[in-house]
Amino acid sequence: MSRNYLQQDPLQQTYDAIVVGSGATGGWAAKRLAEAGLKVALLEAGRAVSPTEFTEHTPAYQLKYRDHSPEIVRTRPIQKQCYACMEYNYEWFVNDLDNPYSTPPDKPFTWQRLRVLGGRSLVWGRQSYRLSDNDFKAASRDGYGDDWPIAYADLVPFYDIVEKYVGITGAAEGNEMLPDGQFLPPMKMSCGEVLLRERVKAKFARTVTIGRAAVLTQNHNGRLACHYCGPCERGCRTFSYFSSPFTTVADAQNSGNCTLLTNAVVSHVNMDSGTNKANGVTYVDRLTRQVKEVKGKSVILCAQAMESTRILLNSSTREYPAGLANSSGALGHYLMDHVVGGGATGHLPDMKTPPNANEPQRPNGIYIPRFRNTPSAKKNSQFIRGYGYQGGCGPDFNFGAEGYGTSFKAAVKQGVYSISMGAFGESLARWDNYVEIDSNLKDAWGIPALRIVMTHGDNERALMDDAGAQAAEMLEAAGAKNIHVQDHVEMPGMAIHELGTARMGNDPKKSVLDPFNQTHDVKNLFVMDGASFVSSACQNPTLTMMAVTVRASDHLIERFRKSEI
Amino acid sequence: MKRRELIRAGVLSGAVAAAMHPQLALAQGVSPSSELTPAQSGVDASKDLAAPGWKPLFLDEHQNETLIVLSDLIIPATDTPGAKEALVNRYIDLVLAADTHENQREFLNNLAYVDGESMRRYKAAFRYLAREDQDDLLHALAYPGAISEWTGEALPDIGHTHFEELKKRIGVAYYNSQIGTRELGWDGNYTHGVYQGCEHPEGNHK
Repeated sequence: MSRNYLQQDPLQQTYDAIVVGSGATGGWAAKRLAEAGLKVALLEAGRAVSPTEFTEHTPAYQLKYRDHSPEIVRTRPIQKQCYACMEYNYEWFVNDLDNPYSTPPDKPFTWQRLRVLGGRSLVWGRQSYRLSDNDFKAASRDGYGDDWPIAYADLVPFYDIVEKYVGITGAAEGNEMLPDGQFLPPMKMSCGEVLLRERVKAKFARTVTIGRAAVLTQNHNGRLACHYCGPCERGCRTFSYFSSPFTTVADAQNSGNCTLLTNAVVSHVNMDSGTNKANGVTYVDRLTRQVKEVKGKSVILCAQAMESTRILLNSSTREYPAGLANSSGALGHYLMDHVVGGGATGHLPDMKTPPNANEPQRPNGIYIPRFRNTPSAKKNSQFIRGYGYQGGCGPDFNFGAEGYGTSFKAAVKQGVYSISMGAFGESLARWDNYVEIDSNLKDAWGIPALRIVMTHGDNERALMDDAGAQAAEMLEAAGAKNIHVQDHVEMPGMAIHELGTARMGNDPKKSVLDPFNQTHDVKNLFVMDGASFVSSACQNPTLTMMAVTVRASDHLIERFRKSEI
Repeated sequence: MKRRELIRAGVLSGAVAAAMHPQLALAQGVSPSSELTPAQSGVDASKDLAAPGWKPLFLDEHQNETLIVLSDLIIPATDTPGAKEALVNRYIDLVLAADTHENQREFLNNLAYVDGESMRRYKAAFRYLAREDQDDLLHALAYPGAISEWTGEALPDIGHTHFEELKKRIGVAYYNSQIGTRELGWDGNYTHGVYQGCEHPEGNHK
């Protein structure tokens, strides 16, 4: 044993800050605070990960079921609904048997998540877009809901910090709905994508741009440029896409000020009722089931929007019977997830380039920023807000070729030049989309589980109808044939962009958090993840979540300097 | 980035990755053992199906033999190996054995439909037919041909649906096998430089 056991026992210390969750936001909070000299405990419910378990270069034929394993369904029937949960990496996703939640029978919700160091940053889609002031002030523009208590200008310095560190590839477009950022060189577009860009610009005056992604196109901050092998969600041995364990979390640890506690399943925040301050958290050791406490001068929840809220709901006290920091009653409400299901697919018969198994695999697609209900467009009569598209276009092997025999075999290789776009629409913040504690349901660690109640409404339905029709028109303009329109509404959760449930706002009667992510009720308790979003916009949210976290972390550091904590 | 630069950087040699990135030493210290997928533990199952003494786990002998014949007609050996050599039947049997009863029943229904049609037309099970008759039957299933006089579009055809379901399973099994991956032209390398994209002037994209 080392010189002074007590001083080294993480449970005997009082940290300046306890950060719960090690994903995209928790990593940033830990890095920022630890590098500023604060003593940080970073708690992660899962285990650590090692690059030796990356499988991005494993061919499918080395897998027992060649990535069509029916066995995964046994332990991960919900997680399997995520495209990234595969035979390669399913152990990174939560075991659904250990991690239950409930929904009303007629309101299904798919909750796809990881409990492992880095969380979903290990498998995320990497698309990284800024919100614009049209989003932060959306309520002022169309009268629905609430504005954010912060403006785009408040976040710009933090978007800059995050982008410069993470490394975002992208092209500047000067689009009013999609502010440009600090970009690494853009990835190239395929011929079909360039054609689409030209035709869509000419006919509709809309922008088709290369995706903005957290993937390096040049060596950056000690990480190597992308080698275009393709499947980022299985890990990356050159660390070319951004994931927290090998960037922010590693920085936090290297600062010497951060203690990482893995397998720490946090159940609730502990309060000192005399001072109305949080004084730590209680967790269950994931492997031994022992209950332990960590003490801290401040507590920061970055556990994922609904998990952070679950912890607060499970932390009720005599003073806060409806959940900690819930004097407003808003905790758990205004759950959002981008609506998906609208779009179109087709073929470009004029494109003659055949598929090639030895083509570099670009881990990125194209993006069409929102063009509905913008300052320069006329107001749509069917819906408010709008949607953006992700898509792609290029030659594919034609596994769906007709017939059989030698002609089928040849047709597969000859391929088909396909084009597709799928919309992500804004999910309106509604009081009646919410999470609460299900008093009859506990997870494998005895912690009360969530009941999730969410539906997409008429506005989301109208967005997807329009997204299907508009996608078909744009594909047609590009010369596409065999166009198939998709205009259904997928079940909530499918976008894996859960937001809200602890919204920020200026009014403590209507919101849970102040504009710096501090709970209105408890001065040293913070939620620095997607739970804080007031509206969802339609852009992929992780970049904004990280910028919000850095802003809030820097503000907390200032308060420590002024001895306010 | 060129291939040799990647080798130098350790990209193609796996474990070297940690050495170039000192921060990883921290993450490397942990050995999570049982909580890895077989692939994450480095298990290579590519030779499993070729094991001597292989016996089907789910299919009976007739179903297995029928599947062999059918798969090799759908994806035959040409100048490259076909479904039979790729042991497509063994893979499908393995997946079925672990699958839901519903999916198992659906597969057996699809296969039985082919035999049923074969019995109806030729009074013999599919695998015993002359090659010419097998071809005629498959052709009828693959190209149903009946067109609606009302819409001008192909009418739904139950036989065609059964056939396409079988073909999809056989296609997945074949093109994800090592033989099938080679058939698609993969050279065995994970990296092929930087994605180049379109370099044509406007109006000349192809």
